[in-house]
Amino acid sequence: MRITGMRYGSSILKLAGFPIPEVLNSNATFEEIEKLLDKRGKLVVKPVFYGGVGKKGKAGLVKIVNSVNGAMEAKRKLFFAEHNFHNEKVIANGITFEEFIPSDYEVYFNLNVSTITRRVNFTLSIDGGVDIEELPPDRIVEGSFDVLTGLKNYHIIDALAKLKAPQEMVSALLRHLPKLWELYNDYGFTMIELNPIRMERVGKRLNAIACDFKGMLDIDNPLADRLNLPAEIFETNLSEFEIEVNQLRTYQGQSDVAVINPKGTITSFMFGGGANSAATEILSDKTTISSDFGGNPPYEKMYHIARIVYDYWLEQSNVLLIIGGKANNTDIFITFKAMFDALRDYFAKHGKKDIYVVAGRGGPNLIQGFSYAKDILESLEIPYRFFGFDSSMIEVIQYAVNIDNWMIAEK
Amino acid sequence: MVVDKLKQFKCYVGINSLEEIASGDDKVLVMNILGNESRKVTPVSHVYSGGNVVAGVQYGRPGVMKTEIGEIPVYSRLADAVKVHDFNTGVIYLPPSAVYHAVAELIHYNKKLEKIVLVTEKLSVKDQTAIRAIAQANSIDVFGANSLGVADAWNHVRIGGGLGGDRPDELLIKGSIAIHSNSGNFSTTITEYMKTQGFGTTTVVSSGKDTIIQYPVAEFLYAAQNDPRTRAVVLYIEPGGFYEKIALDMIENGEMQFDKPIIACITGHWKARLTRAVGHAGALAGSNDDAASKEKWFDDYFGVQGFDPEKPQRVGKRGVHVNSIQHIPMALKSVFDKLGLETDFEPMGDLELKPWFANDFDLDLPDELKIPVVKAMSPYDKEIAYVNKQLGAVYLRQNMRNASGASTMNVKTQVGELHGKGVTELSKYTYEENIYFTLSKMRPDKKDLPLINFILNYLSSVPMQYFDLVKQAEKNGATPNETLMVPLALIGDNDEFKSARKFIQKILSVYVELNIRDLSKKIDWSKKEKDIRNVFKFEKGKSKVTGFLYSELKSESKKSNTSQLVLYLIDNFKVENSDIFILSGFIFQLYFQSLIKKKITKDTLENVFSYFSIVAKTVILSTIKIDENKFIHDIIDRKSPELMHTSFTETAFRAVFNTEPEDTELKEFSTLLGITLTNGPGTISAKGAKESVSARNNISTAFIGFLTNTGLAHGGNGFEGIEYMLKAFKNIDIENPGIKSADIDIEEIANLASKKFANDKKEAKSKGVGYKRIPGINHPVFKGKPVNIDPRESFIYNEFEKSGINNIFWDFYRQLVKSLHKQKVTKNVYCVNIDAVIAAITLKLLWKMYKSGKVNEMEMQKIGFNLFLFGRTAGIAAEIDDHRNRGTDMDCRTPASQTRFVV
Repeated sequence: MRITGMRYGSSILKLAGFPIPEVLNSNATFEEIEKLLDKRGKLVVKPVFYGGVGKKGKAGLVKIVNSVNGAMEAKRKLFFAEHNFHNEKVIANGITFEEFIPSDYEVYFNLNVSTITRRVNFTLSIDGGVDIEELPPDRIVEGSFDVLTGLKNYHIIDALAKLKAPQEMVSALLRHLPKLWELYNDYGFTMIELNPIRMERVGKRLNAIACDFKGMLDIDNPLADRLNLPAEIFETNLSEFEIEVNQLRTYQGQSDVAVINPKGTITSFMFGGGANSAATEILSDKTTISSDFGGNPPYEKMYHIARIVYDYWLEQSNVLLIIGGKANNTDIFITFKAMFDALRDYFAKHGKKDIYVVAGRGGPNLIQGFSYAKDILESLEIPYRFFGFDSSMIEVIQYAVNIDNWMIAEK
Repeated sequence: MVVDKLKQFKCYVGINSLEEIASGDDKVLVMNILGNESRKVTPVSHVYSGGNVVAGVQYGRPGVMKTEIGEIPVYSRLADAVKVHDFNTGVIYLPPSAVYHAVAELIHYNKKLEKIVLVTEKLSVKDQTAIRAIAQANSIDVFGANSLGVADAWNHVRIGGGLGGDRPDELLIKGSIAIHSNSGNFSTTITEYMKTQGFGTTTVVSSGKDTIIQYPVAEFLYAAQNDPRTRAVVLYIEPGGFYEKIALDMIENGEMQFDKPIIACITGHWKARLTRAVGHAGALAGSNDDAASKEKWFDDYFGVQGFDPEKPQRVGKRGVHVNSIQHIPMALKSVFDKLGLETDFEPMGDLELKPWFANDFDLDLPDELKIPVVKAMSPYDKEIAYVNKQLGAVYLRQNMRNASGASTMNVKTQVGELHGKGVTELSKYTYEENIYFTLSKMRPDKKDLPLINFILNYLSSVPMQYFDLVKQAEKNGATPNETLMVPLALIGDNDEFKSARKFIQKILSVYVELNIRDLSKKIDWSKKEKDIRNVFKFEKGKSKVTGFLYSELKSESKKSNTSQLVLYLIDNFKVENSDIFILSGFIFQLYFQSLIKKKITKDTLENVFSYFSIVAKTVILSTIKIDENKFIHDIIDRKSPELMHTSFTETAFRAVFNTEPEDTELKEFSTLLGITLTNGPGTISAKGAKESVSARNNISTAFIGFLTNTGLAHGGNGFEGIEYMLKAFKNIDIENPGIKSADIDIEEIANLASKKFANDKKEAKSKGVGYKRIPGINHPVFKGKPVNIDPRESFIYNEFEKSGINNIFWDFYRQLVKSLHKQKVTKNVYCVNIDAVIAAITLKLLWKMYKSGKVNEMEMQKIGFNLFLFGRTAGIAAEIDDHRNRGTDMDCRTPASQTRFVV
């Protein structure tokens, strides 16, 4: 769950008491904009993108203006701005008007969990305001710290010393950067990045003001709920189907789904992360969804998931594929009963359609599960082939593809 | 064993060799031992490992966990357990939010703790990093989270989750390959695959694939190097994280010695398209740690590109990467060949496609897709053989109060459907075909119709005293439904029904035991005598059989091995109730295919005799003026085999009309019965039957339930249309309503009727009173267009037209709706609805009797009601049977919360 920009970043940073510029939303009045302009003589207009969309500046999507007319013109241009990010076209959801912070220095700071140290790492540079990857290694300091003690002032001052940072920066950064650890730790973040932190000169001292925000929240950490962020900012890339299934997410049993091809002709129930990887790779655009329903889901949950899957995808599908390795925990009878009860109910409601069911599975109560599915399919007169775990899972997936190809050719 | 290797590894590592990960010396304590997952998994692990679980903790719920090798004590808190038990390994099955607390608790109370296995999924990254830190500080090895645990085939030990499921011995076969897998499921699927090239395992580690992997690849390779049993390792790797790179860099930099081959299976290329995790939480790549990057790390290390199954010899001595787990065994074999190493054992099985269950129904798949079912490996083959013996459909019992698996009302077409077929379609079939269909869900084979008719006629026989009861009831003013209730109550669940059920059960047992599915196959039953006698305990000898039943049996035995079996038993054994036995055999042979195809349950098959009997007797008991009906008397007396083969449609016709029907009459008659088979489960007649089943009554009582819910408002109301037409045709002389005559001006009759209605309506309105609507026109669904048509009516009309069947009463109705519009009585042309169809056909069939004075209007009303009951009784058999199979006791009750009191 990613957040970028100051639309929500400003309120998050406020929780930690980190200095921020004044930020107005799209619906700010002329008067409010004028007042913001009066503070610094200019202001910054940025588009708001939901999710982890970055590189706005590089794309020319950040405008600095010095009049209300200029601000409104920028608003008009940026309100629905299109942006190519990670090969995907994203569209803005409004804009922010942000106080312009003049500064002598720009700082980059990042906290994130590291798979190398298996601790929380920090990255600091006093050459911020640019992509961190563009900086030479000697202009960046990375370190990690024990999460039981947290980020301390000495981590910062040591890093600044390595960077040979001007002494005048030290005090402000020491005062504010450790606050980010509290924010990180207390609100379920796995990453926080401020770039730039602009060092504004106030009299003889410098003040550190966060002028952009990026964060990633851990979906499995309930502390993230403390932020009370609106759900829609995380759902921008989710289809209605994914949102509906996600509502069933509990710790017991996976329920991860992603729409792969809304026009796919194979709908797959994948069990286990491994099967999910293998099946999604082989099925490619043939599959409507990629899924992982492993983790021994209880009957009720599996039934509801199956019902949703059928409602969204069965009509267009030629093949219903159920694929997993030899389950260790997942009860095959329970999961098959749930999926095939839901299938029977779907047909009772919508009438029968021509599909072929392919299953490859192993695990506890396998024959009971296969047998239950067989009974339902035979009563519905739906053709099927069930493979045991001694058949190659990959070949079973390929068999489903071949059946689909044949059914397409026959139509 | 506490070894400080912090200088070598970034994190604490206490495991020196893989042998130590799951060893026979480990003593295990399980947190949340009685939770859903542990309850199933821990006893299996405990037994497999020879009793390595010393205790468990279940907060607030002390007790014991029973296993095959004794009980495991369960404590309410860890502090109590540590006072009594020594253990070095903790396993945590708690929900995510409680895991970190449990880790702290284990470390706090047990200074001898060495290992923790975290089975829980969806642990937060924050807690994972905190667990890392606290374990680091206290020198504890951690496995997981989201791990299926660790297992060792040599030590015969499994700790944590259920590697190998409920049959760990099947997969954990001793060999020389160590497995480290990001996927719990694949950790054992890979072991299954490896057997096909003759490889077994040493230690299997399900690492989990959260963002933080507590026991990652570098530590695993280090321990594998120090494990003398391990000759090679298999890694199953998903995108995300730099764990593998750290390990390879350590080897290349000389920080860690490792010289055993690696097969690295790297999957998840497609995940580069995702911006959020699907499947494993940590399998989301950032920059430079996607699947392609990982392949490059390994290819650089191996010095060869990825494995190509077409060129299996192209592997490095250090190993090779594969993209699919199915290539692991072959790649492993290739590397072993290159190194001149032998496999662990002879290959076991293969990975070819082996369907265990399949049915293509009518699909004509190409040969390459038509892979035949193969016998499954042991012990699954025995389980399959067992379930295959479970013939017939099995339904989940549920509340069937307002539901039916037999009938439905198609909202769009307004056509009632039975077993997926609309009554319009069913109206094309004979009565006997539909009686058969209601219980089998399949149309009968034409060649079976004589036998179906034989059984129905044979079973229709009732004691003549029953008619005295009917007559008495009629005398007392009972309606046709009421007159039938008393004899039906007397029929009850009689001995014949019970015998038939038992016989059918036994015949089925023989077929199941001998695995016979094809009834046309000739079987020499004398050679199966031992099997038969295991089921039937008849004494040797000859049975007494009534009259022509024996010849019928002989004739049927040429067609079906069921009749051959019955004949063999009748000829060689003393069978009591031999008549019922023969009829039961007939029913078995008629319905066995439906059972095989899972269309019906065993209960249905066993009760077809009862249903046939009740439906047939209902028809005979409805005979009009029984004393004058010689044909029905002969049927009751089972006069001749020829008579028993009479179409049951004709029998029903003659029960009502007491004349030999013409072909067109028979067609009209069966059409009428077909369209009244059902009107969906919501009709009160269906509800009456269902409610009776819900109270767990026998079948005949359920039919009484149906009858009690018919009456002058439902079933007996068909007369309104007839009455209306009689008035409209009052002064018209019609000889035969099936012949269009130039003397009869239908348009004129309709115009007059329309005018009369307009006047009556006007007059009633002027008086401010209600007026009587014309029955049989208009419909709440088929309305609103300039010209409206009830598709059911037009379907049957067209069918009749094709058969050259005319009906001037029906034509009158069709003209009437036009006249009403023409005379501006209706704003558009109303449809002629199905009630008018029923009335028109009934009136036409009765016309001869009516004109000759044989029936009066009151009797016509009764006959109309009877015709409805004939059709619906057959349909209700399906409803009763469905509710018996799917419903639960009392499921038709209305919860008190939904009832209301009115004043």
